[in-house]
Amino acid sequence: MRAALSAQARQKAGSRILRRETGLVSKVLLYGVLLAFAVMTLFPLAWLVISSFKTTQAFQLDPLGLPKRWYVANYPQAWRIGKFGTLLANSLLYTSVSTAAVILLASAAGFAFAKLKSRWTPVLHGTFVMGILLTIQSIMVPLFLVANMANLYNTRLGVLIVYTGISLPIPVYLFTAYIRGIPDAVVESARVDGAGYLTIFRRIILPMTRPVAVTVAILNIASIWNEFMLINILVSDDRLKSLPVGILKFSGALSSDYGKQFAALVIGLLPMVTFYLIFRKQITQGVSAGAVKG
Amino acid sequence: MRAAGRAEERRAYLLLALPAVILYLAVVAFPTVFSLGLSVTDYNGGPLFGEGRALNFRGLEHYVRMFQDRFFWISLKNNLAIIGISVFGQIPLGFIMAYVLYRKLVGWRDFFQTMIYLPTVISTIVVGILWQSFFSPYGPFTRLMQSIQPGWENTLFLNPKTAMLPVLFVMLWMYTGTYLIIFLASLQKIEPELIEAAKIDGANEWQVLGRVILPALSGVLVTTIILAISGSLKSFDLIFAMTAGNPARRTSVLSLYMYDTAFRGAPDFPLANAVSTFMVMLSLGLIGIVRLLEKRLGGDA
Repeated sequence: MRAALSAQARQKAGSRILRRETGLVSKVLLYGVLLAFAVMTLFPLAWLVISSFKTTQAFQLDPLGLPKRWYVANYPQAWRIGKFGTLLANSLLYTSVSTAAVILLASAAGFAFAKLKSRWTPVLHGTFVMGILLTIQSIMVPLFLVANMANLYNTRLGVLIVYTGISLPIPVYLFTAYIRGIPDAVVESARVDGAGYLTIFRRIILPMTRPVAVTVAILNIASIWNEFMLINILVSDDRLKSLPVGILKFSGALSSDYGKQFAALVIGLLPMVTFYLIFRKQITQGVSAGAVKG
Repeated sequence: MRAAGRAEERRAYLLLALPAVILYLAVVAFPTVFSLGLSVTDYNGGPLFGEGRALNFRGLEHYVRMFQDRFFWISLKNNLAIIGISVFGQIPLGFIMAYVLYRKLVGWRDFFQTMIYLPTVISTIVVGILWQSFFSPYGPFTRLMQSIQPGWENTLFLNPKTAMLPVLFVMLWMYTGTYLIIFLASLQKIEPELIEAAKIDGANEWQVLGRVILPALSGVLVTTIILAISGSLKSFDLIFAMTAGNPARRTSVLSLYMYDTAFRGAPDFPLANAVSTFMVMLSLGLIGIVRLLEKRLGGDA
């Protein structure tokens, strides 16, 4: 009896020690995995930034070390060769105009779907929801053919129309869901006061949807700023290209000029990294809001 | 008065909903249907109607050509490999790290989350060129391998058997963060009282995970797998920048295969339209599965 008890006690004490030890082991393991990921992120980026301050010769002699002399001239040269002034202006234009258009169109449609009666709503709203999972990549070539026929190839307008159109599904879904959550009484009491639906949308609903508008804006800015596939086929004129298409030039004809290539990549990297570090919270919230309803 | 109100409501509906609907149909639905139509003709550019039109019915000829093309199968296989790296790499890793951050098993959580998600926001083109340089013969990877194994020769991108490996690795690097964020968001929706109660009842960390948390996440798990499949169909930019499908088109994917048939070498728009229609069908099939699952799981998959 006593022997059994002490055996039980021993076992208990042993398992406690064991648990503490597995706790330590798993802790080391967890930190190991997370640190590995952090290093995997930081190391290539640090290597890139450091290499961008080397001349091509210095890089070839020593691709890993710190530069002996920090060579800044790569940056103005890459900027000039890549015509980054034009690229940045175009990227800003495409991103801002399409984002504003998406917010306006999607909130208007969301209000109609959520608060106005129509037997068309299930079909139309359903089309957008279905579009969330439709991959735009699959219609890249037909889009090119249609843009060509509509005389929108190689125009800023063509890029803006396509960017706005393909971006609509998630925003329409988010706005509709949000506006459905606004009590009907808000609309009805404004109706009683004699306000038209358009006025109600502009004066009452639109200001109330601010949180969704912020989410939509952030998601859209991130995706349009980085968009490459469509603009690559919709535009061939250098003056109309955006940042990602312009940067690709440095991996083709200029790829052996490492110093300038790396400087170009850093220039391409900075806007989004800054944007992310400023809006970290909102971006992660927006991504999960947009994705969880897949 | 009532009737006037109805008419006004209908007018407002059209005015508010139609711009978005028309734009979406014009940019997405029309090209989809148009491509389906063109895929059974021999249309290869030029005017569609009237004088000098170049359009004859060809039936399923281009689909047969597509299924006989070995580059089509190579591309499809790579798409499957990309789904594989998501399902067996990104999703489990994303989940483990989300769980670790959510249960506060480590410190420095903000830092880790930022580091893991950061690659996702960088332009895919920049990521592609950066890692292409990293894995190239002059890059750090070669140096690293040579310090382990002197005389190691870097043929990663030249050997058709290994060229896909760096691409898959970069995908793991880039998109694990997305799954981390998705899992973290749904973990945060679980009521903490549930976990506390299980702990008070004597459950250890593994039991909490297996009995409380995983069951609560089954819906999200399905969502992430669907995202992985649609994400694989979306992959284009990264491969375009990293390998452009080379060597000998061994790292191609369906979207790149379509791009190549239309824009590289002699344009073959009929084949490209057949590929496009095939990809749309895959997408629609996926949407159908999602609908089915939503019905079965009660509308919240």
